[in-house]
Amino acid sequence: MDYYSDAILRALQLIISLDPEVIQVVTTSLKISISSTFIASIISMPLAVLIARNKFKTKKFINIILNTMLSLPTVVVGIFVYSLISRRGVLGELDLLFTPIGIIIGQVILIIPLITALIRNVIFSMDEKLYKTATSMGASRRQKFKLLILEARYGIIGAVIAGFGRVLGEIGVSMMLGGNIKGVTRTITTAMSLETNKGRFAFALALGIILLSLSFLINFVTYFLQEGKNYARR
Amino acid sequence: MQEDKIIEVKKIKKICRDKTILDIEEFAVLKNKFNFIIGGNGSGKTSLLNILSLIDQNYKGELFYEGQSINKDEQNLKLRRKFSVIWQDPYLYRGNVFYNIALPLKLRGVDQNSINKKVRAVAARLEIENFLEQSAHTLSGGEKQKTSIARALITEPEILFVDEATTNLDEESIQFFNSHFADLVTDEMTVVMVSHDSRQIKELADQITLLKGGKVEITKTINNFNFELFGAGIEAPIAEIV
Repeated sequence: MDYYSDAILRALQLIISLDPEVIQVVTTSLKISISSTFIASIISMPLAVLIARNKFKTKKFINIILNTMLSLPTVVVGIFVYSLISRRGVLGELDLLFTPIGIIIGQVILIIPLITALIRNVIFSMDEKLYKTATSMGASRRQKFKLLILEARYGIIGAVIAGFGRVLGEIGVSMMLGGNIKGVTRTITTAMSLETNKGRFAFALALGIILLSLSFLINFVTYFLQEGKNYARR
Repeated sequence: MQEDKIIEVKKIKKICRDKTILDIEEFAVLKNKFNFIIGGNGSGKTSLLNILSLIDQNYKGELFYEGQSINKDEQNLKLRRKFSVIWQDPYLYRGNVFYNIALPLKLRGVDQNSINKKVRAVAARLEIENFLEQSAHTLSGGEKQKTSIARALITEPEILFVDEATTNLDEESIQFFNSHFADLVTDEMTVVMVSHDSRQIKELADQITLLKGGKVEITKTINNFNFELFGAGIEAPIAEIV
């Protein structure tokens, strides 16, 4: 029992004392996750609107693919992007393997289906009158898109936060494409794996506590955004 | 006397899931007049209004605006911005009443000072100046409809389309609408109104068009208002008019 209580105590000490190594791992992780979530969101938003609002022949097929990709294993994305950016891959010359950009590419691919599917569902559930009214008010296509995004903003933020939570906690892509290089590509999850293997249990636990706290914070914010949405509807 | 036609419809056909919703050989909206479209449920009134107001451009046939053929372009922005629509069940966007009334002007890039003045002026005319800061989602049905009327009027449209604006309202709101609507509309405005309300038809109509099964049964220009309308049916008043 002492082993656990001692580890937890040392982990808390590491967090409270703002241990430079812990801070470095957390900031690297946040920088990479925020970047990939931002890029994936920019791509997912118009894609989701396109799928939800338009009729085209391959729509059913695209929806099936999208839903399938929701449960995409991180290692599969890792292998796929690895094959592209490794030295013999088509993007090999760009030297992206074992760089933060490499991880970001993998994470963007990982969460595009998730964010797109969630936003698609939000857009799909929006009142049809929203579009008719926008048209009748003299909105251009771009203005209609903007109005739609504004109206769906709480749901969209929820989708983006879900994507952020997914990349923050994933390990497959970060490990395979980042290589766990200290200070460069070492994220919370890859550091936890490495430090546990090295026997630095308290250090790994400290990161685990931070990861859990971040997840809690993400859910907390999402919950209050949903509350805000309900309040606005009332 | 030949009346000016602002919108003309020629051989319009709207088919939805193999069912013909509208099949109109010829129909015209008279300029600066109150044009009523009446008919029973499923007669195609709202479908026609959607086509005339360029909300729906998925139809066969031709539409003319002041004699010029209207292209079926999803944007058609310049022309669409001359129109406004008041819906039976209005959609108000997240935000307060002010934001909702101001939206059409914002979309047209009008400066904030003019927006402030215009919103307050139109809100005063509709007696909703005290609600401007209130969230649109907390309004009653009547207040929502007043907000949507203010939103439609703020751009001073050339053509105002009204789709059964009073159907879902309580008696007090209907009375407000009936007593104020004619004053809210300027002489330069053309109104196309889908309505079942015999009082509105009796007081306002310059032209009445009866739709039946997606076809124009009859169009009549009114020159003499001394006719009795029988509240119950649609065909009774039109028979009286004819």
